[in-house]
Amino acid sequence: MKAKEGVVNILNKVLTADLTAINQYFVHAKMCENWGYERLHHKVRERSIDEMKDAEKLIEHILYLEGVPNVQRLNTVHVGETVPEQLKLDLKSEQEMLSILSEGVVHCTKAADFTTRHMLEDMVKDVDAHIDWIEVQLETIKQVGIENYLSEQIKKDS
Amino acid sequence: MKAKEGVLEFLNQVLKAELTAVHQYLLHAAMCNNWGYGRLHDHYSHLAKEEVAHSSGLIDHVLYLDGTPDVEHLDDVAHGRDVAALFAGDLEFEREDVELLRKAIAHCAKVGDFTTRHLLEEMVVDSEEHVDWFETQLRTIEQVGADRYLSEQIKK
Repeated sequence: MKAKEGVVNILNKVLTADLTAINQYFVHAKMCENWGYERLHHKVRERSIDEMKDAEKLIEHILYLEGVPNVQRLNTVHVGETVPEQLKLDLKSEQEMLSILSEGVVHCTKAADFTTRHMLEDMVKDVDAHIDWIEVQLETIKQVGIENYLSEQIKKDS
Repeated sequence: MKAKEGVLEFLNQVLKAELTAVHQYLLHAAMCNNWGYGRLHDHYSHLAKEEVAHSSGLIDHVLYLDGTPDVEHLDDVAHGRDVAALFAGDLEFEREDVELLRKAIAHCAKVGDFTTRHLLEEMVVDSEEHVDWFETQLRTIEQVGADRYLSEQIKK
């Protein structure tokens, strides 16, 4: 299948953001583990694995469209020194991802590539869920205080 | 735990190579899938998972040594237009990886960091196995021809 104009470019842009997110979340997960926050470690690691699955789908879809997947490029990885900082930086990354995906959805509609649009829309759903989860954490920290929040992160969900 | 001199630099260098390998094998797996070589796709996916495990171990260890893992940089990702070209690029990459690991292991022995040395030694075992696998594939292609080799890669 030949791609419509601009679609491979957009997919590569999403792929770069995705590959960057994998690394950012992976490091954040590991840092949480190193600090002893088992619960957060698992939650953040799950997000990193979600992104890995998306990256795989994107690479396969680019090849399907006879394009060349760019796996050489990474954006800046924003690593936070504390849990709230990590959450805020991840929120920013997810919001940026959302705007790239939205651009992609609009473009695919215009170019009438509904298969790619459908795939990007599935990803938007995941990003929305991630954003919601991070916002909930930040709000909880505001309400109960950082010490109470963190003490609940020591044991993982059974 | 504080790291001995030069250990973190080596670990981050190895990490960069492992992260590059993850990207490279993900790409090569998808390419083989796209060409219809299911068997090769599975093998590359397995390699990618192994490299993810290595990266994970390295990041853990860098943090344990109070260092900062660098996950923002990549070496050149090898690519190619056919299976033999992918193998050739991967072989060169794995050979360089083995060289780097050997240097890092020698350094750890010198500064007396035997925990890190042990970790790297486990990785070098995998890397040498990868070198061997790619060498075997390229030799088989030479002996039976690319057509026959590839037709065996269609079914898992």
